Amino acid sequence: MSEAKTSVLANVTAIEAAAPKAPAVAGRKRRGKGAGGTVIMVLGLLILFGGWALAVKYLEIPSYILPSPVAVWHALWSGIAVSPSSPLGYYLPLWGTLKNAAIGLAIGSGLGLVLGSLMAESRVIEKLLMPYAFALQSLPKVAIAPLVVIWFGFGDGSKVAISALLAFFPMLINSFTGLRAVEPERIDLMRSLSASRFETYRIVKLPNAAPYIFAGLDMAVVYALLGTIVAEFLGAQQGMGVVITQAQAVTDVAGVFAALVILGAMGILLHGIVRGLEARIVHWGDRGRK
Amino acid sequence: MAAFAQAQPIDPAAAALGDLIRIRGLEKTYADGSVHALSNINLDIRDGEFVCVVGPSGCGKSTLLRILAGLDDYDTGTAALDGKAITGPSRDVGVVFQAANLLPWLTVRENVALPLRVGGKQVGQAEDVDRLLDVAGLKDFGHRFPYELSGGMQQRAGICRALVRSPRVLLMDEPFGALDALTRERMNLELQRIWQASRKTVMLITHSISEAIFLADRVVVMSARPGRVIRELEVPIPRPRSNDGIISHPAYPALAKEIRGLLNAQGDE
Repeated sequence: MSEAKTSVLANVTAIEAAAPKAPAVAGRKRRGKGAGGTVIMVLGLLILFGGWALAVKYLEIPSYILPSPVAVWHALWSGIAVSPSSPLGYYLPLWGTLKNAAIGLAIGSGLGLVLGSLMAESRVIEKLLMPYAFALQSLPKVAIAPLVVIWFGFGDGSKVAISALLAFFPMLINSFTGLRAVEPERIDLMRSLSASRFETYRIVKLPNAAPYIFAGLDMAVVYALLGTIVAEFLGAQQGMGVVITQAQAVTDVAGVFAALVILGAMGILLHGIVRGLEARIVHWGDRGRK
Repeated sequence: MAAFAQAQPIDPAAAALGDLIRIRGLEKTYADGSVHALSNINLDIRDGEFVCVVGPSGCGKSTLLRILAGLDDYDTGTAALDGKAITGPSRDVGVVFQAANLLPWLTVRENVALPLRVGGKQVGQAEDVDRLLDVAGLKDFGHRFPYELSGGMQQRAGICRALVRSPRVLLMDEPFGALDALTRERMNLELQRIWQASRKTVMLITHSISEAIFLADRVVVMSARPGRVIRELEVPIPRPRSNDGIISHPAYPALAKEIRGLLNAQGDE
């Protein structure tokens, strides 16, 4: 009985729960490498763009397959160097996409944290919900997107809903895993003080799970953005997904590339914000572990 | 707590004799039935007494401490604190864990004050947090986080936390086991000083024979599993004791030899 349960848990955990601390620390160390690292990075970029430009020119790749970096740069600049209220710029669609992704992220990750907490605290709720979480986790969730559009329409509702759905799972699994990963001595401490269940949750389990929760949030941010874009592909008035489909409709491949550059930059920015928040809040880092 | 209301005094005479903790015929087997942890434990601890428990690894010393702390239950026999059967954690008991067990997301001061903000509206005396930090030499470190402190300082904060509710009993589970020998000797001095000032009843578990003799009024030696009390030895060395003075005291070698002999007979240490 309990064996079956742990094996399901182990599977789900293996699939999604991100290892919270070690990769982040390693990444941080590698980044802070000073001049040598910067030189290598710039050299790499030069080789990449130079090779790209030369390949397009001398292999005579048509621009509707692969535009030159210069063409992409022109498309990018034409979307950036305009008034923020211009319908031709990236600002309005980007705002629309980010807003829906943010609302979806808040709802999805909030629900994921609440349900993950309930599952971690109660064996009954865990047994009740884990099979569904496992089943849904195995389902490629973007496949539900057309259904969500039927339910919520082509407006903001469907974008928020798909973002929330995608952001929900990494938070659910990571908060559940993190809340269960608490050292027994810390629980003993709270028991010896006759602390209530909620006090133990708030003072010990939740901070203890913070590295896991941030790892989940890191994934959820990217998934929420992905969810909004996918929903916009299926039909929307505005958004970066619309920018991409409109460029695609007129075979403006440079325009598609430019929009992807913007989305990539957003991804990196949001990732940086989550990491920055984590560094501030989880200031004890992995020194909290034995 | 409801359980405390219905607990009856098991022996009214105990209080008169000055026994704060009274253990009779205590048995403990872990739930799956495979480990017989404690067998027929009988032990009394007087009010204000400092008792050290030594025994081979896995002899159930920690289990005994956990039962007294109300963290583990027991099968048969009785364990009573001030005449009332122990049925769960009590405000009268402070626990000092192995390796300090401070919460890394709270400052030292917040860690020490933690017992005052959890556990509901239990009426009782509270120590002044700043005074405790001062006594423990942590006055200037209250706003620091545990990972900024040395191991010895962390464990001093752990002791402060156990004292902050002003408990009558202090239970210490190998509190200095993770510290280096020099820090450990200094911590023993500190603990003696704190204990002489507060006169708490202390039960301390240790692997170190010298630590046990240095700190204890009485050393309790336990057998290998299932744990039994095989000898109780009074330590007739006057206080305050010093790390140098204790070794040169005429009673020390015989005591250390006897304890070592008892432990060696158990096939450990």
